[in-house]
Amino acid sequence: MKSTLKKSAISVISAGVIAGLSLGMAPSASAAGEDIVFIQGVKGDGFYITMGCGVDAAAKKAGAKVTTVGPAKFDATLQKPILDSIVAKKPDAILIAPNDVNAMQKPLENAAKQGIKIVLVDTTVKNPKFAASAISSNNFAGGREAFNAVKKLVPGGGQVLGIGVKPGISTTDARDSGFKSAANKDSKYTFIGQEYSDNEPAKAAQITTAAIAANPNLKAIFASNLFSAQGAATGIKQAGKEGQIIVVGFDAGPDQVKALKAGTVQALIAQQPYSIGEQGVKQAIKAINGQKTKKKITTGFTILTKDNVNSTAGKAAQYLSKCS
Amino acid sequence: MSTTNNFKTSAKDAQALLDSEKLTFAQRISRVQALQIVLVLAVIVAVFSIMSPDAFFSAFNLRSMAMNASIFIVLGVGVTFVIITAGIDLSIGSVLIFSSVISAMVMENLGASGWTTALIGLVAALVSGLAWGLINGLLIAKANVPAFIVTLGTMGAALGLSQVITGGIDLYQIPTEMVDTIGFGNIIAEVPNLVVIAAAVCVIGGILLHGTRFGLTTYAIGSNPEACRRVGIKVDRKLIMIYMISGITAGLAGWLSLAFFQQTAIGGNSMTPLTVIAGVVIGGTSLFGGIGTIFGSVIGLLIPVVLQSGFIIIGVESYWQGVVIGIFLIAAVYIDGLRRDRAAKGSGNKPKRRQVGGVDLGSTNKKGTQ
Repeated sequence: MKSTLKKSAISVISAGVIAGLSLGMAPSASAAGEDIVFIQGVKGDGFYITMGCGVDAAAKKAGAKVTTVGPAKFDATLQKPILDSIVAKKPDAILIAPNDVNAMQKPLENAAKQGIKIVLVDTTVKNPKFAASAISSNNFAGGREAFNAVKKLVPGGGQVLGIGVKPGISTTDARDSGFKSAANKDSKYTFIGQEYSDNEPAKAAQITTAAIAANPNLKAIFASNLFSAQGAATGIKQAGKEGQIIVVGFDAGPDQVKALKAGTVQALIAQQPYSIGEQGVKQAIKAINGQKTKKKITTGFTILTKDNVNSTAGKAAQYLSKCS
Repeated sequence: MSTTNNFKTSAKDAQALLDSEKLTFAQRISRVQALQIVLVLAVIVAVFSIMSPDAFFSAFNLRSMAMNASIFIVLGVGVTFVIITAGIDLSIGSVLIFSSVISAMVMENLGASGWTTALIGLVAALVSGLAWGLINGLLIAKANVPAFIVTLGTMGAALGLSQVITGGIDLYQIPTEMVDTIGFGNIIAEVPNLVVIAAAVCVIGGILLHGTRFGLTTYAIGSNPEACRRVGIKVDRKLIMIYMISGITAGLAGWLSLAFFQQTAIGGNSMTPLTVIAGVVIGGTSLFGGIGTIFGSVIGLLIPVVLQSGFIIIGVESYWQGVVIGIFLIAAVYIDGLRRDRAAKGSGNKPKRRQVGGVDLGSTNKKGTQ
């Protein structure tokens, strides 16, 4: 009998834990303005944190209320249930960075059918017809921008190499092909190929040393994500070519900026997540109020180098780890 | 003596309790962990419903939660069989991915449209799952490698092979009929086909486990494999079949996942095996074998889904879901320990004074795992 009591006690305590958490943690809802939810691509990532700061700032200005949620990994199987729960709350608008072009298509379409205004930020879905607006960087232009950085740092021309994560990711594919097409248009430079690191620094280093051995005139590497850039820098060091071959990286999170300041990469192509977030909220509010929205907005880039990283503009281009 | 007693009260838990006249109603309820966990789930649902009656308890959200739990529940049916034999299957998430990759490739080669293609894809997924189950079963039963190690190995191997086959790139060519009907369609009104399929798997699994000789043998193997061998049960063969059941449910889950997410999700499902095992254990299936019900597993698997949805709706950081599930998991195993302790005491072979708290699982369970 005693143990029966004990067990009932455990059940009650477990349930109590939830009730306590729920009551204690629930934020007090403010009555004002439009109700907007921002669903990040992944939690804890500088790019989306910065975007969230832009969202918060724009919402505060407009008097709207924002809740931010996101999956722990960039994984559609985790993001979909989150979207379902948010849709059940029937907010006025959802800003979302879909984790997958296919998996999120129908769930978002259904949400739009229920009258929730959808704004796609950064990533998109297969057929974004239902969305009030889609705001993102033009990644192809980003690749072109990376080549501009190469031109600035190595004005004399030479061989250039691309190292990507893996084929099949729409954003990085666009960056890689933007870089390639810009390089092919300039006769001073030769594009020697696009390699893939599988997000492994060791593999990127191997690719780099092999490329250096085969191409003595290699002058620049465009590494379209963090680990590829780190690996490329290691490979250059291994070959004793520091200072002779430059690395251009993509994005400007705290880790990337550290690498730039340390001199392992010579330039970064920074997107403008803050602006994406701000504009997302503006479009969402327009849609809620029945005004005409811009179906597609593309944002620009900033080239960060050692020279401008500490300037006001350079600091503004870096991604945040928390809103100020 | 303690073995037979334990077996009786566990395998035919509800039955035995109904027959018994000595127990009070409260005691009867408390003996069935599945019922306790129903109470816990009811309290959770009640709390969230009171806090957010419009959103949480809406038809839309209940439907969404049921759909989001369906794939876990299909996996859970297979895992329940495995854990009842005191085994473990960590490979289910990777087998799910592998099956969905093979199925998607087969369907892509057939033109990726039409029901015939979808059904051939289903067969491909089931065969892939079955094959991994067979490998697991053979290594565990015949080569005597512990289940934890075998399935940890096949977890890595199945995922690795999926990545080798696809180059790490997700496959997207899924017949639209399959997506519209299986993934998002309703059988009637607002009852999703996905949930109906999961329910059917539970009914089949339930009948197999609770109503057949095979099921009875499953419990017996979990309670005392040595005794089973001595009375002439072909334990090895049964074990291989049980791991094949887990494989085939993972294969089916892979096909359902294709219909639901319209892609192979190679990068996903890393937490799936642990979520499913935790759900099954919370639902009252004992890691030491011999105890468990399909019904309990279903309830145990609904809890994480309900918690996550509820937390998001009322605005609590959804990371708390992990914390709460952790507490439930430990509580469930603790209760299991108490129950085993009492069962042993009830046999009369034990001194009246039992260990403090009854947490000394080793002493109450000599049946051993591996």
